[in-house]
Amino acid sequence: MAIFQDQLKTRFAALGVIVVAVLTVLAVRLWTIQVLYAESFATQAENNRVREISLEAPRGRILDREGRPLVTNRGALAVLAAPSVRHDEKVMASLSALLDMPIDDIEEKLSSEKLEPLAPRPVALDVAPSIVAYLAEHESQFPGVEVASVPVREYPRGTLAAHVLGYIGEISEEQLSAEDLTGYKLGDLVGKTGVERQFESVLQGDKGHRRLEVDAKGRPRRVLSEVEAVAGRDVVLTLDIDVQRGAEKALADALKAAQREDFDNARAGAVVVLDVASGEVIAMASAPTYDPRTFVGGISQKEWKKLNAKGSEYPLTNRAVMSAYPPASTFKVVTGLAGLQTGITREWRQYYCPGKWTEMGEKWPKWCWERSGHGTVSFHGGIQYSCDTVFYEIGYEFYKRDKEELQAFARSMGLGSPTGVDLPGEVGGRVPDADWKRKFNENYPEYRTWLPGDTVNIAIGQGDLLVTPLQLAAVYGGLANGGKVMQPHVLRSVLDPDGTAVIEGTSTVRYAPKISAADLAVMRRALLSATHDGTAKGAFRGFDLSVAGKTGTAQVYGKDDYAMFAAYAPANKPKYAVVVVVEQGGSGGAIAAPAARMVLGALFGKNTEFVSARDESR
Amino acid sequence: MRQTGIGRAFSAVNIPLVLCVTALGAYGVIVVWSATFGMAGGSGLLRRHVVGFAIGLVPLAVAWAIDYKKLAGWVGPLSILNALLILSPRIPGLGETAKGATSWLQVAGIRLFQPSEPAKIILIVVMAAVIAQYKGSIDKPRDVARIMGYLALPMLLILLQPDLGTGLVFIAITMSMLLVGGLKPRWFAVFALITVVAVGGVLRFNVLEQYQEDRLVVFVDPARDPLGAGYNLAQSKIAIGSGGIAGKGLRSGTQSNLNFLPERHTDFIFAVLGEELGFVGGIVLLGLYLALLIASLEIAASSRDLFGALIVAGVIGMWTFQALVNIGMTVGIMPITGIPLPFMSFGSSFMVTNLAGTGMLLSIWSRRYGT
Repeated sequence: MAIFQDQLKTRFAALGVIVVAVLTVLAVRLWTIQVLYAESFATQAENNRVREISLEAPRGRILDREGRPLVTNRGALAVLAAPSVRHDEKVMASLSALLDMPIDDIEEKLSSEKLEPLAPRPVALDVAPSIVAYLAEHESQFPGVEVASVPVREYPRGTLAAHVLGYIGEISEEQLSAEDLTGYKLGDLVGKTGVERQFESVLQGDKGHRRLEVDAKGRPRRVLSEVEAVAGRDVVLTLDIDVQRGAEKALADALKAAQREDFDNARAGAVVVLDVASGEVIAMASAPTYDPRTFVGGISQKEWKKLNAKGSEYPLTNRAVMSAYPPASTFKVVTGLAGLQTGITREWRQYYCPGKWTEMGEKWPKWCWERSGHGTVSFHGGIQYSCDTVFYEIGYEFYKRDKEELQAFARSMGLGSPTGVDLPGEVGGRVPDADWKRKFNENYPEYRTWLPGDTVNIAIGQGDLLVTPLQLAAVYGGLANGGKVMQPHVLRSVLDPDGTAVIEGTSTVRYAPKISAADLAVMRRALLSATHDGTAKGAFRGFDLSVAGKTGTAQVYGKDDYAMFAAYAPANKPKYAVVVVVEQGGSGGAIAAPAARMVLGALFGKNTEFVSARDESR
Repeated sequence: MRQTGIGRAFSAVNIPLVLCVTALGAYGVIVVWSATFGMAGGSGLLRRHVVGFAIGLVPLAVAWAIDYKKLAGWVGPLSILNALLILSPRIPGLGETAKGATSWLQVAGIRLFQPSEPAKIILIVVMAAVIAQYKGSIDKPRDVARIMGYLALPMLLILLQPDLGTGLVFIAITMSMLLVGGLKPRWFAVFALITVVAVGGVLRFNVLEQYQEDRLVVFVDPARDPLGAGYNLAQSKIAIGSGGIAGKGLRSGTQSNLNFLPERHTDFIFAVLGEELGFVGGIVLLGLYLALLIASLEIAASSRDLFGALIVAGVIGMWTFQALVNIGMTVGIMPITGIPLPFMSFGSSFMVTNLAGTGMLLSIWSRRYGT
């Protein structure tokens, strides 16, 4: 007996060693993962159970000067689908049939790489209640598809002021690195153009965050913590909805009138209305326009291409600030004031217009638009009847003085550089001089020399001179405002949630050119004559408001003439400046001036019909 | 050394073994209580676990009361009984198939038990009786072949279910008994060689079911498919690792309560323990196992005959192997197999087996002075 048990002792010991070894291995392993690597596993466990979601802050509204809403927010019923749905042919097919949407379009929406990898993508916005009901009843046939209310921009006035308002969209790569857009991530909605872009930082508000505990299936169990979103602030603009509507209608009517008169290419233009004393932009229209609602929920590639196609006249461009035109005869006020100031001319100085002007030599004749000539005409008449010859003379005089005083004076009124309006994308136009010409034609030595004709062309607002409609309005506003050009701006105020204004747009003098009161009075008298008994006579016939204005008809190489009109009113105690530009619309007197009359009608509560001027004056 | 009266009664009970089993049982109830928190029908599951423990006390008492030595003469009938038991779920109307395996015995739609569980105990008795015949020294190939024959039949039948896990437990039981039963060391080398060849063959000729192969692949390379087959392993490791030293507290494990842990009250009960009671809780469990196995070894050493010692060796092999494979699986050092953790996992069949084994150990202990 004893022998048998002794024999077994070593075997039991061996078994014991195995047992201890097994338990030791397990203990060591536990030590490794529970003590040495505990932190890493704890992090993984936290990542498993905690989901952080952003709480979108309601974006601030955009209001007109009276507080009437231009852009607000609303909840839109949207069909959302997980990105993985793309691989499920059956669901894609039924979704396509249900939403009446090509599979390719759904595919495009689902493959957006801008959102978090697993976040559901909006497929269709504002879906019909019947579709929502169908999806709810057939939930099992649409795995990964859900219906949710998503906040979107609402435009209670449709396309009104679309260019000033701008639109929002998913942030782009370049915007991510923009200075005022720190803290944004791909997929965030951000202002792209217009006021939406300019005042992004106040409109956006602060996102909130919610930390949720979720189970293995991703279903939320409870809220761990939450930081509420802070709503964006409302932005009050200087625009007046009624005037804006009048301006847009005037522009549309001007285009129609031009087309009636066989200017078939008349499809674009701009209108600007400024408060001359404050620089407030009361209206700003650009044609053709676009519908900001196209961008709600993300614009499709197709729509985007359409809006940017060659031959579309680029409806996204705000021509009032982003396009520069030859100012043509509207520039004669600048040339004239410069001439008065330098003593080159006087109000009643007499000129003789034979129609063909040959002062620079018989080889370089210049023609007045009135080929038969104005005969004997004063400086005042030169403005009133827009006689080119008068301004050829003045321009030639500036050339001979060889001091580029005309250009310097134009710049002193703000031409040649952006006005600094609080809208993105503004261009500065161009005031050409000898220096500029040398650089511009660097590779064409024969064109590098500044010629007398260059100055003479500038004098009538042609040549290489370019101004934006807003610049022109600012200049005319300056004439109306005792010579002080105010800083144009669209921001009236920013409102706190309780409605008090926290930021207010200020009126500052942007340019104070050297103009004597007497010279200014000369010019204002001439501008009044132009509408009473001059080139804009037809347009303002029977209008019981005295308007001071200047027509312009710009020649653009390869295009029909551009119709221009710049004015301020009332002439004796000016409040507003108005500029109308109609690309390829023909003559300023016939097309642009009647449009300006309509706008003024809207401003002063007068008749707002488009009058047929039948006036070929320039 | 004969004792009388109360002393005799006390010496009939192996106090350390009873204490260990009681402690493990209680520990198991606590962890199952916590694991079933928030589960659908959780309190019902806990009740069934406790009832399973209570039911197990019956076979414990029976095994304790029976003089184990009498079993040695029943090798033939027990072998046949075992084969029938393992086959029983295959009999039409008696079986139920779950997760690809026909491993439950059920009558009239009511699940009774998993026959593979009592089969372990019967195998231990049969193998002990057979091996004991060689009186502590086995070397002849013919003898080895005969012993292996007794293993082969239940092994084959269990693999047909298919229940690879229980098959591996059968092998572990047999090997630990052969170690005590005196098989010459070179035979273990031969077995090791056969194992290597067999595993190679299995992998080469695609004998395994897809899910079994997945589990192996995942064991070798857990990062390969973290959301598929590797998910269970990854989540289990995260649960245990995140428990740290002191754990997150009972019923406070996030991995467990938020359903990241699969099968958390059964096969992955240790992951719940590791997450909620931490390294300390894990070491306590390993300590209890160590105490249990040392107590068992003491009983084996005290056995008055080789047959009894072999039974104990079989039970020790079963417990050790199951603890190794189950905990090893949850911490990523063993492939995933459906082997439950002794005294801890929810499931009454296995609880009954463990308690029946305990009963046999107590029987051997109480008869250590007998004739």
